Amino acid sequence: MTDEFRRVAGIILRAPLTRRTVRELLYCGVGGIAGVAGFYITIMMLAVGLTITVSIIGTVIGLLLLILALRVSRRLGGLHRRLAWGLLRYRVEAPPKFQPGTGILGRLDKRLRDRAAWRAVSYSLVKLPVAAVQVYAIMTAVIGLVDITYPVDWVLLRHHPGGPLQPMVALNPVSFGAGSFNVYTWLGTFLAAILGAVSVLGATWLARAINAGDLRLVRALLGPSSMAERVSELERTRALAVEDSAAALRRVERDLHDGAQMRLAALAMNLGMAREKLDDDDDATVRELIDAAHRNAEDALADLRDLARGIHPPALDNGLPSALATLAASSAIPASVTADIGTRPTPAIETIAYFCAAELIANATKHSYANQIEINICTERAGVLRLEVIDDGIGGADAARGSGMTGLAQRVSTVDGQLGVSSPPGGPTTVTVELPLNA
Amino acid sequence: MQVVIAEDAPLLREGLTRLLEDRGHAVVATVADGDGLLSAVAAHKPDVAVVDIRMPPTHTDEGLRAALQLRRDFPATGVLMFSQYIETSYSAQLLEGGAAGVGYLLKDRVANVAEFAAALERVAGGGTALDPEVVSQLFRASRRRGGLATLTPRERQVLALMAEGRSNSAVAAELVVSGGAVEKHVASIFTKLGLPPDESDNRRVLAVLHYLGSPA
Repeated sequence: MTDEFRRVAGIILRAPLTRRTVRELLYCGVGGIAGVAGFYITIMMLAVGLTITVSIIGTVIGLLLLILALRVSRRLGGLHRRLAWGLLRYRVEAPPKFQPGTGILGRLDKRLRDRAAWRAVSYSLVKLPVAAVQVYAIMTAVIGLVDITYPVDWVLLRHHPGGPLQPMVALNPVSFGAGSFNVYTWLGTFLAAILGAVSVLGATWLARAINAGDLRLVRALLGPSSMAERVSELERTRALAVEDSAAALRRVERDLHDGAQMRLAALAMNLGMAREKLDDDDDATVRELIDAAHRNAEDALADLRDLARGIHPPALDNGLPSALATLAASSAIPASVTADIGTRPTPAIETIAYFCAAELIANATKHSYANQIEINICTERAGVLRLEVIDDGIGGADAARGSGMTGLAQRVSTVDGQLGVSSPPGGPTTVTVELPLNA
Repeated sequence: MQVVIAEDAPLLREGLTRLLEDRGHAVVATVADGDGLLSAVAAHKPDVAVVDIRMPPTHTDEGLRAALQLRRDFPATGVLMFSQYIETSYSAQLLEGGAAGVGYLLKDRVANVAEFAAALERVAGGGTALDPEVVSQLFRASRRRGGLATLTPRERQVLALMAEGRSNSAVAAELVVSGGAVEKHVASIFTKLGLPPDESDNRRVLAVLHYLGSPA
């Protein structure tokens, strides 16, 4: 109990001496002053702009002033974000860049509707009280530092001959002078020093507290709105989906070229040669060539069957349970399927789930040395299809490593699904894929 | 005739070897990639090389690049490009250095063993063998509609067979007409299209291809 207390007390008391404190206080100083200045600039421009706009005469100028205020606010927002990153290592992405409109009215309209800029304006306004506290914090710290040096100052400054013996004023952060007490003796300076130390300590923690609040504001008002974040997430997954399907088509072309097409060419060659040999009365060779052609035909059919299954397994038309059963039956490692599906997902989701299961089974077969694979699929939670592939192998699978898993994760994220991997070394490995019922 | 085969699918490599050896030709080397081809041709100096376009490592156009290199370094060796599809830019690149000893055939053509062997022999002998599919693509893409419209259907057939690189006698055999009839058609074509009359088969292939490819 006392150990814990001592540990916490140690943290609290040592805080002022860390580099972090310096950065936090610097942020208070710079950010605070910038905040106050920003507030006044913004409010001036807004006020003037609004009043002029309302007074019909100067509507255009007023609107231009408003737009100027918005643009300046955006820049200020950028400044605060950079301060947050540079001093406090707090990353907030910039909101999406401004897209200008077309035509005079269009441009005015777009500028006035710039959501991110208005949010930046609101930050500038809300920042005033925050900045006030921040400035107070840094001033307290400075005062505290000065107070701490009083014992030394006394010795340095009070020993000039002939000078009047004035009392030293110990600055007091609480009332800035009005409540400051005078120090008459050298011993008294130590009181001032203690006051200074307490001030510095207080300033440190005040700075941390107010900065934490400020950073929250920065994230809420100066970062991309959740809508913008959603859009860039969607753009990213769309690019992945497009890449994915292009790659799949390339694979199909390659498989056809190297598989069925090649076998059919060989078949044509064998039949051509057989036809020639018919005239020569060489029955043995003809039979041999026809046998070869026959084998070519069978192999080509097998290739095409595999290819078709790789594109769309026919069993899927009857639903996931039967398709997964076929998959389990042809798995190298014995696999069992438990299915409990209420509402049937859309075909696209069924296809994704099927290929996820196929990929996971293939992974388990390749890497896990498992004896048994369990496949569970259910729609327990409303609107969610949950696929679990569990193997009793050696474990150690990692969603971050291995391109197969990354591809799977990407495909799952394209439809806003979730992938979870639990694979401690020694096994067992459980991979969970959750997909919405409708893509 | 000495032949080198460059093809990465073993099934087709063996089939081609058998096909050619059956007809009495000597397959002196079979390779599966572009570098192998160049060293085999350097070592054996064959009469003709059958080259698959798509080979390792990238499976795009290794064969074409090796073939162009062969044409530069070993002009005495004919090159027959072999592919599962026709790419017009490939045929254009191949014909850039002239049409002598050059061929471009679809793998489908092996179904007719006699024709395939004839085409190969033509290329080995310094002639040209272009796949009918290549020729019909050129016809379709040609902007010389006006000129081609002046030809009779029979003359168009003769023109197509000429563009494949066949000699007059081969054209006559294909169309089952007399050699004299073919010669008359050829003369008429050359006059109508304004092409210079030329005895040499592969120069005349070039003339025809050039005509088809040029703007109206």
